[in-house]
Amino acid sequence: MGALRQEEMILNVGPQHPSTHGVFRLVVTIDGEQIVEADSVVGYLHRGTEKLAEDLQYTQIIPYTDRLDYLASMINNYALVHTVEYAMDLEVPARAEYLRLIVMELNRIGSHLMFIGAYLLDLGAMSPFLYAFQEREMIVQMFNEICGARLTYNYMRVGGVKWDAPPGWLDKVRDFVPHMRERFKMLSDLVSGNEIFLNRVKGIGVITQEEALNYSLSGINLRSTGFNFDLRKNRPYNLYDQFDFDIPVGSNGDCFDRYYLHLREMEQSVRIVEQAVASIPDGPVLGKVPKLIRVPAGEYYTSIEGARGELGVYIVSDGKDKPYRMKLRRPSFVNLQILRKLLIGQSMSNLIAILGAVDIVLGEVDA
Amino acid sequence: METQQDVVETPASGTAPSAPEGKAPATNSAPPTAERAPESAAPAVPAPDTTPPPAPAAKPAATAKPAAAAAKPAKPPAPPDPRVVAATATAEEIRASIAAHLGADAVEDASATKEIPILRIAREKWRQTVEFLKDRPEHAYNYVELFAGTDYKDYIEVVVYLYSTEHGSYIHVKTRTPREDASLPSLTPVFAGVNWEEREVYDLLGIHFEGHPDLRRIMMWEEWNGHPLRKDYSDFENVPSREGGQY
Repeated sequence: MGALRQEEMILNVGPQHPSTHGVFRLVVTIDGEQIVEADSVVGYLHRGTEKLAEDLQYTQIIPYTDRLDYLASMINNYALVHTVEYAMDLEVPARAEYLRLIVMELNRIGSHLMFIGAYLLDLGAMSPFLYAFQEREMIVQMFNEICGARLTYNYMRVGGVKWDAPPGWLDKVRDFVPHMRERFKMLSDLVSGNEIFLNRVKGIGVITQEEALNYSLSGINLRSTGFNFDLRKNRPYNLYDQFDFDIPVGSNGDCFDRYYLHLREMEQSVRIVEQAVASIPDGPVLGKVPKLIRVPAGEYYTSIEGARGELGVYIVSDGKDKPYRMKLRRPSFVNLQILRKLLIGQSMSNLIAILGAVDIVLGEVDA
Repeated sequence: METQQDVVETPASGTAPSAPEGKAPATNSAPPTAERAPESAAPAVPAPDTTPPPAPAAKPAATAKPAAAAAKPAKPPAPPDPRVVAATATAEEIRASIAAHLGADAVEDASATKEIPILRIAREKWRQTVEFLKDRPEHAYNYVELFAGTDYKDYIEVVVYLYSTEHGSYIHVKTRTPREDASLPSLTPVFAGVNWEEREVYDLLGIHFEGHPDLRRIMMWEEWNGHPLRKDYSDFENVPSREGGQY
């Protein structure tokens, strides 16, 4: 018997692999079952949003932001209008800020539900996906009522929001809160203690705090390492400094912590929504904004806590009604870089568990 | 069952127990005043129009100013924005610190935005300076918040927003490169997180980052002509042809 021939194999995951949630290609080199190299190929969904924005007025850019992180479009809307408002020092009516806050937090819940459903689906569990979609459907339905779209909302405007809440809408949100609270327990019972699930995610894909900071991770990926950083608390925008909520942080930085933080964050979002619905004032929903929005010349950057991390918009203006340059700091794009580091040395069977837990949306990665 | 318990406890340990349900005392006790006041006086937006002395009354934001003054009577409505003054002073301090270690020519310009110091770094000293800002314990800017490049027609500017998790402070550093043979030292050896950002800038703006471990296009494919975010880029000249094997 001669020596066993050993060689590395290149395996192409994607771009149409279902667990990549979009079009993302991963070229992994494997030695037996072990991953020795992983090369991410992105850009399949690149639409040149930043370039397109240079030819668009600020209000016209808003629908483009819907298509970045299409699971949390409300938050994307806000990221853009917030930067423009910051640059122009615009005052936003209180009711508009409340409505924005409510829809953003609802959207965060919807996005996290989608994560939990899809992540479990990646790991081979079908039912959580269906359960998670029940509540997500309720949220999407509420968004449909307030802005007329289920996914691409285009709801916010510079200086406020497009529509006031229709009659009875706030009551629906109010009723949704206790309902959602019950479902958390159910979702957690359904998944969190499942032994098969735990075996697949506990201690897998561990990120240390130094790595997380060096890789500029943000959002749950950063907080799962135990580092408490949430822009809603650390650099409050909107009305977040007036509400009472906690920032859940993990301790191990593994896939399980990232999964679990999504659950825990939804609980906090529900708390915020509950408080906001209880105290929302009456009034106009669109402030006094010039017809043609011109941002004074200069550079402006503000960032908010998106569903996936720090979502920032950087605008260079030359005083015209269109941005001279707009750069989007997309959390998924930045967070995805650590994937190579996490995968090398892992067994092939952990690939999907690790990729899923990084929680990317390809619309945002590719912009 | 043991695992179940484990699950409930581990991640929760870092969090405070959730408050009793119901209404938030802070929000509800003083509704209208509490809403307005922080909006005009608090977070990142505040009193920016007071920046230069000549501006104050002319701007339409004059309405916002009295509100801020009323809400915070302790703060004098002094003409130069104290935050800009403070940020500029910080910028000068950091500039001096850099000059002492890396030479006076490392920082070309020190200024400030509304509240954050800005330093313009000489191109040759780009990496050393950023590394210096990261490694020195008195600066400790260890987190890259934003990495962006802009084509200003005469030159291309790259800006990096740094954050210090230890001191909680922010700084913006930028540098310039000519458009012809645009190149900069890569920051990837310093911050692993700018790897793809540099690839994106290389792809869309055509800056060559020296010392980058894996400088390839990231959004467009390798055969693409030109760099779309450059201001003189034309859609029509750069469409790759199927015959040329570029498609």
